[in-house]
Amino acid sequence: MKKIVQVALMTALTMGSSMALAVSPKETLNIAFPAGATGFDPAKVSDQYSLNVVSNIYDPLMTYDYLARPYKLIPNTIEAMPTITNGGKTYTFKIKPGIYFAPDPAFKGKKRELVAADYVYSFKRMLDKTINSPQSYLVEGQFVGMDKLVKAAGNGPLNYDTQIEGIKALDKYTLQINLTHVNYNFDTILAMPSFGAVAREVIEANKANTNAHPVGTGPYELKEWRPGSKIELVANPNFRKEVFNFKGNPKDPVSMKVAKEMHGKIIPQVKQVNINIILEEQPTWLAFLNNQLDVTGIPQPALKEALVMNPKNPLDVKLAPKYADKGFQLQRLKQLEITFYFFNMDDPEVGGYTPQKIALRRAIAMAFPRNETIARIRRGQAVPVEYAIPEGVAGYNPNFNMGINFNPAKANALLDAAGYKIGPDGYRMQPDGSPLSVQMGTGSTAIDRQWNEYWQQAFDSLKIKLTFKVGRWSELAKANREGKLQMWGMAWGADYPDGQNFMQMFYGPNKGDANFSGFNLPAYNKDYEETLKLPNGEKRQKLYDKMNRMLAQYGPYIFDDTRVSSIMAHSDVHGLKVNPLITYWRYIEIKK
Amino acid sequence: MLSYIVRRLWQMIPTLLGVMLLLFTLYTLVGGDPSYILAGKSLSAETIASIRTQLGLDKSLPEQFLIFVKQVLTMNFGTSWSTQQPVSEIIRTRIGPSVMLLLTWQLCSLFFSLLFAASVAYYKGSIYDRAVTIISTVAMSISILVYIIAGQYFLAYKMQWFPVYGWGNGFWQNFLLYIPLPLIIGVAVSVAPDTRFYRSCFIEEMNQDYVRTARAKGLSERKVMLKHVMRNALIPIVTGVMSSLPYMITGSVLMERFFGIPGLGNEILKAVNSSDFPVIKAITIYLVIAIMVFNLLADLLYKWIDPRVKLN
Repeated sequence: MKKIVQVALMTALTMGSSMALAVSPKETLNIAFPAGATGFDPAKVSDQYSLNVVSNIYDPLMTYDYLARPYKLIPNTIEAMPTITNGGKTYTFKIKPGIYFAPDPAFKGKKRELVAADYVYSFKRMLDKTINSPQSYLVEGQFVGMDKLVKAAGNGPLNYDTQIEGIKALDKYTLQINLTHVNYNFDTILAMPSFGAVAREVIEANKANTNAHPVGTGPYELKEWRPGSKIELVANPNFRKEVFNFKGNPKDPVSMKVAKEMHGKIIPQVKQVNINIILEEQPTWLAFLNNQLDVTGIPQPALKEALVMNPKNPLDVKLAPKYADKGFQLQRLKQLEITFYFFNMDDPEVGGYTPQKIALRRAIAMAFPRNETIARIRRGQAVPVEYAIPEGVAGYNPNFNMGINFNPAKANALLDAAGYKIGPDGYRMQPDGSPLSVQMGTGSTAIDRQWNEYWQQAFDSLKIKLTFKVGRWSELAKANREGKLQMWGMAWGADYPDGQNFMQMFYGPNKGDANFSGFNLPAYNKDYEETLKLPNGEKRQKLYDKMNRMLAQYGPYIFDDTRVSSIMAHSDVHGLKVNPLITYWRYIEIKK
Repeated sequence: MLSYIVRRLWQMIPTLLGVMLLLFTLYTLVGGDPSYILAGKSLSAETIASIRTQLGLDKSLPEQFLIFVKQVLTMNFGTSWSTQQPVSEIIRTRIGPSVMLLLTWQLCSLFFSLLFAASVAYYKGSIYDRAVTIISTVAMSISILVYIIAGQYFLAYKMQWFPVYGWGNGFWQNFLLYIPLPLIIGVAVSVAPDTRFYRSCFIEEMNQDYVRTARAKGLSERKVMLKHVMRNALIPIVTGVMSSLPYMITGSVLMERFFGIPGLGNEILKAVNSSDFPVIKAITIYLVIAIMVFNLLADLLYKWIDPRVKLN
């Protein structure tokens, strides 16, 4: 049988084209995404997988130091970090000359240089109504004169030839941005992959399908995209000469090793990136073990097999000997995210700001066995959230504690004191004697059902009726916007590593947008507005602490956990240091 | 015969219209709102409204249905709402892998199950018959997921006979390298129920008077089985095969997900999850047309197999 199969394989190899999933040839990186990308137009996509590809095709003005922790912004296509004037309202960027777009027929055979006007065009596209950019909320109302331009366009395309004060090219290489209000974090927004430069002529030549025709100045260009199946990138022949010169952190041996082995090497060493869309965990894991993939996240079911966990501290892990002996590498990554459940603050039963409603929400939070869900569902690979901003994001406070601990007895006592009496049916009633029943939104997967069991247990311990509204994400999002959900859980990952990206979720005017619960507390709103005028520092931190205390006091959210991922790589992958803000593809090499 | 075919083709029009109306109603009632997916993290009322306008969801329902009718008439379903790829391109690139897997699966399954069914029917009541029946019953009670997970683990990972996962660029590469493992698993799954069904078809025919007559006339067992029994047993078999062929269009979701086959099964699931109505519409319409055409072909085949069948 083995021989027959081998003969078939050989025949296939001779008759077919090159094997996409064979053992990695040098200079080719084989990885997997657990979901397909939706496209590669930086203004049109917002999912993580599309953006990972976008970030390797297009160049934002700034990027992050590959090895530095805490994360550090560095120039990308600019000569130096921007000069910030006008009290934090004006940013001026000097673009490096000699950066070229990847070849494309739209350039009619000429090498096309990146200029300031490309960024002007690209940033304006984010607010074009015909594009409906999912990232538009990041820059809405930010650029001086942009609102007027958008309004003039109505539902049609923007007039890109109209110059505005907010985004302008002062000369071929100088870009100036004038903001409507002070924003010290704007550089972190502009470092997002969505703010990479596109060439207007390419966009106009491929208007019908800009998602499938990405052309940028980044290290890679798109070779092939089979949506839902495969993405192939190859090195951009016009990519500028960049050399690996990141410094390691003496406290982090991995970064020191990477800095040493990659120092002075041309970027990118990997000349082709094959991304396989593998939706299921088992084939991802087996494909990695079979050397069909070079790097992978360890799927949850394989954690016990791949890692040796310290029973007293499951976050203290090392590779299982059978993998360590083969030279496999393990890296750990605490995600820049928080997961949470929220209450609809406009709901007559669970919303509101009166002491009784606060007591109800607090009791529900106290009845939820968070440590148990971390141990069982997350298999110990998560940490509890005690601050609305996660670790690694500017504004995080490791010493803060929300003060909500698992204690069903106290939670029941709190409900008794607040007047939520137990009725004749054995369930609690509202203080006015009317029935009390909470409905929570949920998905339909097996993992969702596991969470639901813990929630059911929590509500049962409080003697409060709980029902679940099962639906797809879009249905639940719609129901939530229409005020038809009382509770729902989700995660928020950092768009950029600044606390403002998290604290805006609780800002009243963002209700119906990123403020899922509709929390609207004037004191919080006032402090939030104050923080926008401040750079990251002691003064802003004090305000963030105060705002976190308000969140703990009013309890519109039940903060859950932050996940810790484990990433494995084969021994021939060099230079790997996972970074949640940028991909490692261009910084590694593969050699035996 | 020709008038029968023309009449059946005419009958397809109201059927198609009915399906369109049903699909449109169902999507409107429970299809979800794609604007909430496309909006990303920004769920402002303005963004949602703008996306709805762009997708044409702000138009009245009759207007939206008329657009659907026009799309069916021109067979142009526009672009996918989630990836902006032309729907025709999605179907063109996905149908090949689906058909390659399911057609070979169907043919192999038919061959092996007919072989087993005919032989066990012939040796009805023997140990061989009982063994095949017991094995079939056990095999039928195991979920396809178990076959896939075990097959992938043992045959691909442990034995290293096949790649765990993947899809290449050339026909032969896919046919010889990537198709065999899902094919073996698929055949293992479907042979058991098919064998049992076909066995009963054969046994029913073998008990008929005409078989006894044929034997009494001194015909060889080979002739009795192949010329008389097989031919008459084929009617329900053809029905089963012809009714399953159209579903080659929809692919096999599980096989595609686990083996990385870029077929239509996954595309349908993705479209449903993202409320991508243009893709759902196109695949449903193509499927309905395929079902109607294969039903017609099945009727014509009945006539060819058994000339006594009348096409009214």
